[in-house]
Amino acid sequence: MAPLGDADHCRDKARRDLLALLEGARGKKNLVVSQELAGPVSLFIKFSVLQEYGVDRVFLLENANIDSSQRNVVFLVRGEKAQHVRTVAQQIKRLQNNGNVEHEFSIFLTPRRTLVSNAVLEEAGIIGDVNIAEFPLHFLPLEQDILSLELDDAFGDLYLHKDPGCIFQSAKALMGLQQRHGYFPRIVGKGDNARRLADLLLRMRKEIDAEESSGLADPSARGLLPSADTESLIIIDRDVDFGTPLLTQLTYEGLIDEYVGIKNNQAEIDTSVVGQASGPQAQESSKSPQQAKPGLKRKIQLDASDQLFNQLRDANFAIVGDILNKVARRLETEYETRHSAKTTVELRDFVNKLPAYQLEHQSLRTHTNLAEEIMRLTRSETFRKILDVQQSNAAGIDPINQHETIEELIARDAPLKNVLRLLCLESCMAGGLRPKDLENFKRQVIQAYGHQHILTFWALEKMELLQPRSSATTMLLPTSGQTGTKTNYGYLRKSLRLVIEEVSEKEPEDISYVYSGFAPLSVRLVQCVLQKPYIISLIKGGTPAASVNNASTGSPGWLGFEDVVKSARGSTFSIVQKGDDKAVRARQTLSGNNATKTVYVYFLGGITFTEIAALRFVAAQEAPRRKIIICTTGIVSGDRMMDAAIEKKSFANAE
Amino acid sequence: MAPSNPLANWEKVGDSFYRKIPVYDAIFDEDVELENYIVTGAPCGGVIALHRDESKPIRLRDTQTSRSSIDIYSCSGKQINRINWDQASIRGIGWSDKEELLVVAEDGTVRRYFGLDGDFTSFSLGNGAEEYGVRACQFWASGLVALLSNNQLIAVSKYDEPRPKLLAPCPEGEVSSWTVIPPAQTLSRSVEVLLAVDRTIYLIDSTEAEDKVLQDGPFKHVSMSPTGLYVALFTAEGKLWVVSNDFQSKISEYDTKSRVPPDTVNWCGDDAVILAWEDEIHLITTDGASSKYYYDDRVHVIPEFDGSRLLTNDSCEFLHKVHDVTEDIFRLGSSSPASVLLDSVDQLEKKSPKADENIQMIRSSLPAAVDSCIKAAAYEFDAYWQRRLLKAASFGKSALELYNSDEFVEMTEKLRVLSAVRDYQIGLPLSYEQYLRLSPEGLIERLISRHEYLLAIRVSDYLQIPADRIYVHWASQKVRVSSGDDEAVCKLIVQRLEGKPGISFEIIAQTAYDEGRSHLATQLLNHEPRAGKQVPLLLNMEEDELALDKAIESGDDDLVNYVLLHLKSKLPLASFFRMINTRPMASALIETAAQDDDIELLKDLYYQDDRPIDGSNALVSESLRETDPERKAEKLVLASRLLADSKDPTVVLQQKLINEASQLMKAQESLDKDLADRSEFLGLSLNETIYRLVRAGYGKRAHKIQSEFKMPEKTYWWLRLRALVAKRDWGELEEIGKNKKSPIGWEPFYNEVLGAGNTKLASVFVPKCTTLPVADRIEMWIKCGMIVKAGEEAQKAKDINTLELLRTKASGPAVTEIERMINQLKPRK
Repeated sequence: MAPLGDADHCRDKARRDLLALLEGARGKKNLVVSQELAGPVSLFIKFSVLQEYGVDRVFLLENANIDSSQRNVVFLVRGEKAQHVRTVAQQIKRLQNNGNVEHEFSIFLTPRRTLVSNAVLEEAGIIGDVNIAEFPLHFLPLEQDILSLELDDAFGDLYLHKDPGCIFQSAKALMGLQQRHGYFPRIVGKGDNARRLADLLLRMRKEIDAEESSGLADPSARGLLPSADTESLIIIDRDVDFGTPLLTQLTYEGLIDEYVGIKNNQAEIDTSVVGQASGPQAQESSKSPQQAKPGLKRKIQLDASDQLFNQLRDANFAIVGDILNKVARRLETEYETRHSAKTTVELRDFVNKLPAYQLEHQSLRTHTNLAEEIMRLTRSETFRKILDVQQSNAAGIDPINQHETIEELIARDAPLKNVLRLLCLESCMAGGLRPKDLENFKRQVIQAYGHQHILTFWALEKMELLQPRSSATTMLLPTSGQTGTKTNYGYLRKSLRLVIEEVSEKEPEDISYVYSGFAPLSVRLVQCVLQKPYIISLIKGGTPAASVNNASTGSPGWLGFEDVVKSARGSTFSIVQKGDDKAVRARQTLSGNNATKTVYVYFLGGITFTEIAALRFVAAQEAPRRKIIICTTGIVSGDRMMDAAIEKKSFANAE
Repeated sequence: MAPSNPLANWEKVGDSFYRKIPVYDAIFDEDVELENYIVTGAPCGGVIALHRDESKPIRLRDTQTSRSSIDIYSCSGKQINRINWDQASIRGIGWSDKEELLVVAEDGTVRRYFGLDGDFTSFSLGNGAEEYGVRACQFWASGLVALLSNNQLIAVSKYDEPRPKLLAPCPEGEVSSWTVIPPAQTLSRSVEVLLAVDRTIYLIDSTEAEDKVLQDGPFKHVSMSPTGLYVALFTAEGKLWVVSNDFQSKISEYDTKSRVPPDTVNWCGDDAVILAWEDEIHLITTDGASSKYYYDDRVHVIPEFDGSRLLTNDSCEFLHKVHDVTEDIFRLGSSSPASVLLDSVDQLEKKSPKADENIQMIRSSLPAAVDSCIKAAAYEFDAYWQRRLLKAASFGKSALELYNSDEFVEMTEKLRVLSAVRDYQIGLPLSYEQYLRLSPEGLIERLISRHEYLLAIRVSDYLQIPADRIYVHWASQKVRVSSGDDEAVCKLIVQRLEGKPGISFEIIAQTAYDEGRSHLATQLLNHEPRAGKQVPLLLNMEEDELALDKAIESGDDDLVNYVLLHLKSKLPLASFFRMINTRPMASALIETAAQDDDIELLKDLYYQDDRPIDGSNALVSESLRETDPERKAEKLVLASRLLADSKDPTVVLQQKLINEASQLMKAQESLDKDLADRSEFLGLSLNETIYRLVRAGYGKRAHKIQSEFKMPEKTYWWLRLRALVAKRDWGELEEIGKNKKSPIGWEPFYNEVLGAGNTKLASVFVPKCTTLPVADRIEMWIKCGMIVKAGEEAQKAKDINTLELLRTKASGPAVTEIERMINQLKPRK
């Protein structure tokens, strides 16, 4: 058994690697980080540690304000982004030209040094003047059970630009996991990009086998076998289920993400809501290398280190108030014990606990305020209207009835993202909009939000998020027969029981609680692999809860659900990675059979917090037989999906 | 063969012993006149480079030496290669720890020969080397420093990406000698130089030159000990000083009584310095003790970190300090346990009971004695004594109950490898410590570069080290020397390497290509399992399409981008497009990249591909980037023109929308001109434009624009409502309320007005919401604070319960009103 969890391992490795690189540039130095990496870096290293390693100040690449205050300048950017490398080259040239300091430049490229970045630096004529090093940063641990590549652009790259770069990065990162644990004995997946990822994994394995015993391969990669403590890798392509993330997330963490936005486990929240940073929290928030701006916004750390948040995050928002009340009451009674403390020992006990109380109290105050703020939003008329439209779409009620509401939202200048999400949701769930309706909405949206959105619509169409319903065939593709080009929610809604009317938010029995009655298709698919008996009994309408626990690992892969799964988009596959049989058996005997097996669930193209909550719910049911580790290219939400498509420029004169 | 005396060649110098081990004899032919050569040896028993010393007179009839060349010999005198030198005259020859030969020419050209086959890369020192000329060079394991004739120093600290850097300027004066301090031994972790200038010594690093303030210069020689602890200085008076590395204390002084300074001053390990004159060598320990050796002819000293190789025409010797373990065992009259243990082997062979007595005698320190014997075996060059010592160790450990034999076994393995490579036919006189430093992988690398493939494979099998590099090198060499036809060569290589893991066919193919056999290269490349590896070579071979396909196959976007970058600059646009057309991944990547930096390419691509909408979108996007309104409009016109004459409904709509955008911009411009001082409307959306107009009180113009753009009534009404509420134009709203019908119903009016806090006006709209259920209307009245009106509503619906409820809410006169209504509804008794 590995002594460290994957999350801790990734964090340690990233930290070690970066510090080793920083040590390579001797003496004091200024660090220039690209915006998209600043957050991720703060996930595994504190600014104070960077300082210990000689970092004097941290600059953002995008601000282009690096100065000559230190001789040593270190850049940290993604090697895959030629644009960023170009910017680095410009800034280096600027410093070379105007400073009287003779600078020493280092460029750390993550996750790898690319041929293209070499070409860029060569073109700029500085490749000879700089130290270039690789910083192999792949998975970043968001939580113990979440590994993310934190690629902000993955969604747009994959589905709009059809740029498979992030598939390659995913494959590299997963190879890292395989090198640690052995090969995934089985790779199950759904979706065309998922297939591509699986193929890459197979190919990379072949290449490593080819390199094996040559000096080239990492010695740890030698003689790799199928892992004994891993059960499988399940890859879900985001485009199999575009519908789910378009719905408004209804868990606490999901709603925070919808309304405030969570980035790298941090949310910037208005100080009018959560108050000024104070005492210990202030130090917490200075973790990030950038200076928190005074006033206005405050950064809140949202992760498992906050126990209260951990309790709240995956709960449906409907019961968050209750939980907060309970905690408040408990805290109060505990605090009251100080009056009953009679002996000095009791008193000392109380004083010892005081800091913990204060911390918890502080967190309680933050979350109560935050919850109230969100409550205010969820009570608004717009929110209700949007939710109505969504719920009826999810439930498969004829969407035409909702068009008037959408038109009203447009006329009332509701946020563009919300409107587009509703349109896309309808398109995804119903297999496209009627061409006439689509034309209508296009006009209205463009008139309301600006003609630059001609491009937005085109992008959405390219991503196949918003399309005209070309003919009946696309809509009702296969209940059987060839694989669909679009996910047929109509059919799957029934065959996988996505909609569950009687859902208890308090004591959930099914993952559908996360959307108050709608089960994310993506996670249902995972259940098709992991919890077959449960799904079968669910479809038959038996008492599902009872059958969860006697689920067996019996039939692997999609077995039993092949036909159903065909109505979701993209290819379906289940690949067994074989190794030397004898060695495998030997290993199994060694590790014993009752050990907890790990299942890696990879969401290619992003995952929402609600889906994470749903997967955690599944994981809790599967414990202790299985452990589920969620991996993804990044956290996604409906808004972020829209962001990829929305044209940001307008026809107004540039300032 | 009678065993040699282990004490042969021992020499007591001060308190310690030094010994000179003859390794090889009959090294060079008689006619190689060593005194006329500059001799440099690669570290760790590496090869030796001979270059004719140009300051020495040349015998005219000697045709060979008329052309400048460097000869490379193994330590046993086997000539490995001859490198012809056609550059400017040589100013420095040195070796890296990877046995790469570095040759520095006067004009600053540096050539790095790797692999001993004469392949080289070259770079230039720059930094003024060309103008001033290189005077001398000093090397360390992975870098070099060159001294220019203007006393400037240029350092190169790695060879694979050489980056010559100037060190701090050096003070004026005559440089009499100098040495480098490798980065590993400096505080700054970058290379530093000790420069003897005039009477003192400067320590020069990348930023400053520090004067060590010495008085007794000029120093003819400066040399740093291998560990960097001591510095040896040779003074003008013929004295050798050993000082600490900070120049603060003098460790010893030795007077050579020679007016002629020695040719070389080198360290022999860390405890002694070797001074070499033509045929005479002085060994001076740091204690100041000395010993002298005389030779018949010229002797060259090749320093190692643990001793020195002494090279003459006849012999190659290894001079080093006798290790403590060895001394303990072999010193005359030694009674150390290990020595006793060794003795007991003799006794054992004589079948004498003394063998056991010996063991009993040293029983308490037996484990240590065994360890010592194993260790001492490592330092022996003579197989007889190695065996003898190991036998003693083996005997000793057999008398021990518990002993971990790993070290013993490993030592036998190491010694076996060492004796194999020390053979004169191989000529690698490695000492045990050098072998440890070189590592087994390094040793195999050396065997490969000597083309000793068989031995290399055997050693790697024996030590279980991957052998693929050996095979690859062998195959590359095969490709180079074989003249057979391509098919045969390829077949031979593939057959021989079949089933061997990790073979990089790419490297072999590269060799074939470099040899000009591109057909063979292509054939070999087909056997490379890693698609990505094939790409760069294929590009070189101008197999563009194949390269692109292989890159795509590898799934590595970087590789694809790289190939595309290459092709884009190389091919005519049309054929470039043709190439990417059929490859979706390639065109996707090109499109993405072009969006950022090459919109013209993008437009061409769309045009060629016949994708009018994409093309017009590219123009729209350009229009958005323009800052000048006129240019913006122009681009839009172009975008629209691209879409003309199409019947496709999507295209038609697109064109309409683009035209609408132009139209809107025009309208906004005139609005800006008429109504605002500065650009206020331009760039707003249609809805915003109307909203602002209404809010600013230009209702008529708003209406005009609405009809111009065929905005739906509903939207228009909503906008007007919101704008008027924002403007708090209650009068206008009331006016609107007089309409009979509203396309959006009246409820929004009620809501918006109420939201703005005007309950009175809001109430006006309640009776107009006729489609709503009664209960809603009651609620609406209540929100306006009009309980009575609510009551009336309830009364009409004959809803007593609600009335009862209302009564509780009511106050003042309203209470009686409600009660009255309740009473009215109550059935009369």
